This record gives sequence, structure tokens and C-alpha cells, in this order.
Amino acid sequence: MPKKIGSAIPEMIRSMIKKPDTEAYPFTKITLPETYRGKLDIDPAKCTGCSICAYVCPAAVITMVDLGKRKVGEKELPVKRPKFDLFACIFCGECVENCPFGALEFTKNFEMATSQRETLVMKKALEI
Amino acid sequence: MGEPGESRKEASAGLVQYSTENLVPFGPIHPALKEPEYFKLYLRGETIVDVIPRIGYVHRGLEKAAEQRRWTQNTYMFERTCGICSFAHSLAYVQAVEGLTTYEIPERALYIRLIVAELERIHSHLLWAGLLGHWAGFDTLFMWVWRDREIVLDLVEAVAGNRVHKSLATIAGVKKDIPDSMKSKIVERTKHLADRAYFYKGIVDTESTLLMRTRKVGNLKAETAQKLCAVGPLVRAAGVPRDVRADDPYAAYGDVPLDVVTRNDGDVYSLLHVRLDEIVTSANAIDYALEHMPKGPIRLKIPPTIPAGEYSTHIEAPRGELFYFVKSSGTAIPERVKARTPTLANLPTALELLKGYTMADVPVVLTAIDPCFGCMDRLSFVDLDSQKKWSWTGEQLREYGIKHYFPERNA
Amino acid sequence: MMLVELLEALIFPGFLFTIGLGFLFDWLERKVGAHMQGRIGPLVAGPHGLFQPVADFLKLLYKEEIVPSFADVAIYRIAPSLFFLAPILGMLFVPVIGTKAVATFDMDLLFVVFLLAYSAFVVVILSFSSASGYTTVASGRLVLQYVSYEIPLVIATITAAVFSGSLSLAGIVESQSRVWNILYMPFSFIVYIVAMMAELEKPPFDIPSAKTEIVAGWLTEFSGRSLAFLKLTKEVSLVFGGGLAVALFLGGPLGPMPANSVLVPVVYGTYFLLKLLAIVFLVFVLRTALARLKIAQAAELFWKILTPLALAQLALVIVLKGV
Repeated sequence: MPKKIGSAIPEMIRSMIKKPDTEAYPFTKITLPETYRGKLDIDPAKCTGCSICAYVCPAAVITMVDLGKRKVGEKELPVKRPKFDLFACIFCGECVENCPFGALEFTKNFEMATSQRETLVMKKALEI
Repeated sequence: MGEPGESRKEASAGLVQYSTENLVPFGPIHPALKEPEYFKLYLRGETIVDVIPRIGYVHRGLEKAAEQRRWTQNTYMFERTCGICSFAHSLAYVQAVEGLTTYEIPERALYIRLIVAELERIHSHLLWAGLLGHWAGFDTLFMWVWRDREIVLDLVEAVAGNRVHKSLATIAGVKKDIPDSMKSKIVERTKHLADRAYFYKGIVDTESTLLMRTRKVGNLKAETAQKLCAVGPLVRAAGVPRDVRADDPYAAYGDVPLDVVTRNDGDVYSLLHVRLDEIVTSANAIDYALEHMPKGPIRLKIPPTIPAGEYSTHIEAPRGELFYFVKSSGTAIPERVKARTPTLANLPTALELLKGYTMADVPVVLTAIDPCFGCMDRLSFVDLDSQKKWSWTGEQLREYGIKHYFPERNA
Repeated sequence: MMLVELLEALIFPGFLFTIGLGFLFDWLERKVGAHMQGRIGPLVAGPHGLFQPVADFLKLLYKEEIVPSFADVAIYRIAPSLFFLAPILGMLFVPVIGTKAVATFDMDLLFVVFLLAYSAFVVVILSFSSASGYTTVASGRLVLQYVSYEIPLVIATITAAVFSGSLSLAGIVESQSRVWNILYMPFSFIVYIVAMMAELEKPPFDIPSAKTEIVAGWLTEFSGRSLAFLKLTKEVSLVFGGGLAVALFLGGPLGPMPANSVLVPVVYGTYFLLKLLAIVFLVFVLRTALARLKIAQAAELFWKILTPLALAQLALVIVLKGV
């Protein structure tokens, strides 16, 4: 092919005429696909404290908090609920797929930037 | 770090010392490097007389950390070795672990692995082409190519849920399926990407200023490439048709036809063409795989322990041949995982290619091997005076550290 | 009157006008370049990002200034001001609102060419004064690039002067009242534009401050106020070089005039701005479309192709003038 100077110019003129491909993000909304893995959310009604999520998490995000004991028949069983330090979450999905009761799910919220770590601690499941 | 005029004997024994050189430190922090590595450039005017590398700035101890996590948890950790070849790392690890077992991986899972691996290859090559444009001063090519890269990232997001760390491969299968509704979208987008690859090939062939920067820069002969053990598109651009997908097929590569792209010149111009052509072959492979994907399950349910033994596997990551070695003692935690990444194999070739060229070629040639220093860093011990090499266990390293930093504790 | 001339020098078309145009062209470069690449460019600071260069300038003014320990402090401190002086002063000699500029004297073209050489010289000593590995390489490249582009640039300028028969910018502009010089010497115009891009260090000639190879070249060790003024000077140099091109080849501010004499300066100013925008736009398109050359290749380009072309055009013009 012949060498020339400025072989990129036709495409440059074309790009200048049509709309830019960049989205002015904070001023426009973004659509996310269905499978998107955003911030975690837990349904406290479905959680039973089985601790499987804490066992499989690779990033040590989930700690089980002791909330007392309850009587089942004659036995006394401990009651635990998970606390999520979402600052460390890597969004792998192990907890979501391994929960036997389907209590965890991914939302589409990705705007998690904060200046205080405490705002990302999810304690919803502790209030029972 | 090195003052001007520093003696080079301590860095590499046996070199003649020149007195008119200028030591220019390339790195560890430099706008041209994505990750920090230190290259001491000895320049005479603009010509490079010698390059002395020093690696280890991004060493994170992943192989040691793998010995404290369970098999499935390690998948996610090895995925984060690198952002660009992340699926390749998790796929190689998963394949190595599956080699220790006798599970029969479902066919559909193998096809999905191939599709996502090829999508990642397209993404990596587009990223590389843009970076080469940027480091040769051609920002327009950079912006256009990275806009096309967004198409691939959106496809990956629709398939896997995340743009970079796909978290798709798991032991004995994949975690998410590709529904039929997504097929037409993927086929249409990959065709568009193949057309764009042809357009960029046209620009590479005709734009004189880019040709002046890439033609005849870094001439790699086939014998030199094989002697220095280069892998990946680098050795294919020198004329050696070596590709793990064709030589030792894994995943579904045995069923999907794939062309191995080679060129003869071994310069950066050939590398551009090899990588842009590989985008086209990947697009074709994805279309074929989507058409012929069998139905069925995508993963098996497996117990948490892996049988004892040793196994090593290799795959073709976007940068070259990636080895993973896994050793298990029959528990839920691996005993040893070792990765050999392609950049480590390509680095001596890059340094050899730089001698005799000018300072302006350094970022172009270093980028030409597609470096990913994050994957590459390793730790080993060499005694320069006696040229002795050895390795230590974790305990010995800890004892040495205590002795070195707290001498008062030793009586 | 003294007051009018002082105001002219300070505000319009003097210092403030030049600096304002410098900021405007910085914004224009970023916006036009961005849209050609499919991006948006500056968006937030001011309407459509118009005040972004001003915001960058103000931000740099209050950042910390770090002087490297082995730099030559005296030159390091004073050279940015010396560098800033050249295009600002030179713009006073370019005719903007009439055939006579704010400052004019007979043979002022020589002084303007001297200013071009002077600014290159100041950059070289500036680069040598901050002695680090990167700036040493940049100094070598600077000197080589300067030697290469200066000769074709001066030859192209002299060609316009020879054809117009005058060594003052006012005379050159007046001689183009019927036909512009570019029609008689198109190759000189091309040589001038290419050499001007080398002087301004725009791609493909941004070799001495190549961002991805030697960090920032001769700008590396500057920060804070010095960096703010160095960057501003680079933009104002574009105004100066472009203004000079308009005066030499495109007939300065001359053009079809309306009958009303009050509006004469305004119409002249508008023509000047339009022609300047055309030249600047050409520079932006070339800048976005080309990769960076290596210093040896750039030197080859200037010595092997552009200097002979400029000399040939000069010979042709002399013959034309004699005939």
C-alpha cells in the first residue's frame, strides 16, 4: 500500500462530525447488563446464620457475630448473623451462589466510593 | 539507585567500563511503564550501550499466599495476578487442579472457556495496539483503539458480570452460561471488531510517521528467538509457528479451527500485524464456537478436597505460553502452586533487542513484547561474586530477616 | 498619545490579548483534538470547558516548587521568565489591527527572527541548568532539533521579505494588499508551517519533551510557578508563530474593507483572527494525525527535504522578482 502522511485524517474528520463516543458520565446515566455484579445486598428474613458465606469468602469480608442463644427442643443453639465489611469485597460471587437460602444478591450499585470505611459495613442482618 | 558514572562492575560482572556514558534510569516510576520495573540505561548520546534490569518491584508473594487458601478461593486470587490476562491465569490454575482429578469437564463449559479466553485475547491485543500508538507519540490511534476495546469490555460484562476480573472459571466447569439471546449480539460485535482490525492494519501500513517508528525496529531473527526462549506473538513474528492452542490443544481448541499467524521480519511492524491478525482469527473462532456449542450442564458439583499428586499445564495467554504447576497433598488446601508467566520468558529477548538502538526506541521495543510486570515478578537469590544460585524456604527467609534487621537479638 | 499606546501594548492587541488568545488556543487544541479522536475534551470548567486552561494555570501557580539539588539555581530561577518574554514581546510587532503593529520600526523582521532564535537559546540553557538524566538527553535533542529547523524557517521568512521588497513587517503586509504572498511561494509556506511545528514542539516534532520516553524532557524538573509560565509560553508561542505566518504569507489583517472608517480596526482584527484560526486549525489537524519521529529522522527530514525546498523556492522568487 502506498505510504502517505496523514492517512488517519479521513477518519478524524468523520469522528469530528458525529457524536463523540465518550459518555459524560456524572451527567448522563449508564445502563448495566443483568448479570452485573455490584454491591452486595442481604435479605435478613432469609438468613439463618449457617455461616457458609463466611466459610467460602476468599477476602475475609464476612464475620459471624454472636447474638445469643435460642432453645430448640431441649438443646441450646447459638444464634449468629453475618456482618459484611464491604470495603474488602472482591465481588467474586462465592457467597451469593453458595448460600443455601438465597439470602444474598448482587445489586447494580457500583458507586461505592467513600471517605470513611464504616459506611461500607453492612449490618442489616444483625437486626433480628 | 545509581549516580552518573557509577561503576557497573557490581551490577553485571565482566563488562568493560566506558567513561562517556550517561546513566538514565528508566523506571521504576515512568510514564511509559504500566507497572514499575527498573531498567538502568547506559546511553552514549542517544545510543543505548547497555541495559541492566532489576525486577521485583511488584512482587506480592501470591504463590506463598496460595498455600493458605482453599482451592476455590485461590481461583479468585490468581485471577488478580494481572488485569489483562486475568482469565488466562484463572483458567490455567483451574486446568492444573483438574489435572489432578479425574473429573470429566462438561463440553459446554469447555466451549464457554474458549469463547471468553478469545474475547480476552481480543481485548488484550487491542489494548496493546493502543499503547504502542501512545508510546510512539500517536495518541489518535490510542484513543480509537481503546474505544473499540470498550465494545469487548461491554461484551464481557454482559457475559460475566464484570469487565476485568471475570470470575468465570471454576474447578470442573464455569459459573455462568451464555444464553442463546446473547449469541447474535456477540457475533455482530466480533464481526465489527474484525473490520476495525483491518482498518488499523491499513493505518499501520500507510502512515509514514508510524512506519518510521516501527519498521526495522527490534529485528528479531528466528534462531535468536528460539535460543532466548521467547514465547507468544513475539516468536511468531520472528517466523516460528509456535502456539499452544495448535500444538497442545486445551479447552475446546481441538474442535475449533484456528490459524496460527506468523510473519518473518521480527520487528515491531510485524508484531503489530501479527497481533491485529490474531484479533481476526479470534473473532472467527468465537463465531465458530458459538455456532457449534453443545447443550448440557456447565459445571459439576465437587467435594472440597483434591486428590494428592503433582500436575503442570500450559495455555496460550494473550502474551504467550503460561505454565502452572500444582502440588496437592490430598487436603482442601494446596501445597504448592507455581506460575511461569510469558513476560518473564520474553524479557531477555527485549533486552537483547535494545542494544544499539536509541532512547526513543526503548518504550516501543519494551512494549512490543507486551510486558506485564505484575505477573512476572519472582524472587531468587544469586551471589554475584561466586555466581551461586539457591532458594530458601519460608522459615529460612524469616530467620534471615530477623538476623538482618535485629542483630541485637543474636547473642 | 502615550496613554493610548500604553493601553494598546498592555491590553489589546498587546499582552493581555496575546495571553487570552494563548488560553483560547489551548482550549481549542484540546477540544478539536478530542472530537477528532471521538472524545469530549474539557467539559466542566466554564461553558464547554472554556476556562480549563485558566484553571490549570491557576492550579499550577499555588503548587509547591521543588528545585533539584544539583541544578544551577540562578539560571533555573530566571530562565522561565526570560523564555516567557520572547513571544509576548514578538507579538507586539505583528500587525493585528492595521498595517502597523503596536511597536514597529524599519527592519523589525530581523528583530522578530532574532526573538525566535533567542527563545530556542533560552530553552537550551534552561534545559542544561536542571541537570538530571532525562534533561541531559532532552538537551541533546533540543540542540539538534534547533539546528535543523532554524535554517529552513529563516529561509522561508526571508523569501517573503525578498518578494515584498521590505524588511519590516508593516512593509510586507502592505505589499500584499492585492495578492497574498502564499500564491507566489506555496512551498515556503509549507516549510514555514513544518518548521514552526518543530519550534513549538508539536507532534511529530515534540521530541525534546517526549512524554513517554524521557518523562517530560526539558520540562521535567520544573514545577509550580515555573511550570505554569513555561506551559503558558508554549501556548503563546503558537499565537506568535501563527501571527507571523499570517503577516508573512496571508496578507496580515488586510482584506475587503467596508466604507465606514470607524469600524476599520474591528474589521482588520476580525480578518486577522480568522486567518490565524485557519493556520492554527491546520496545525491541530497535523498534530493529531501524526506519530512522533525520532530525532535522527527529524534532522534528516529537515536537512534533506525541507532546506533544499526552501532554497529552491527562494531562488524561484528571486528569479520571479527579477523578471
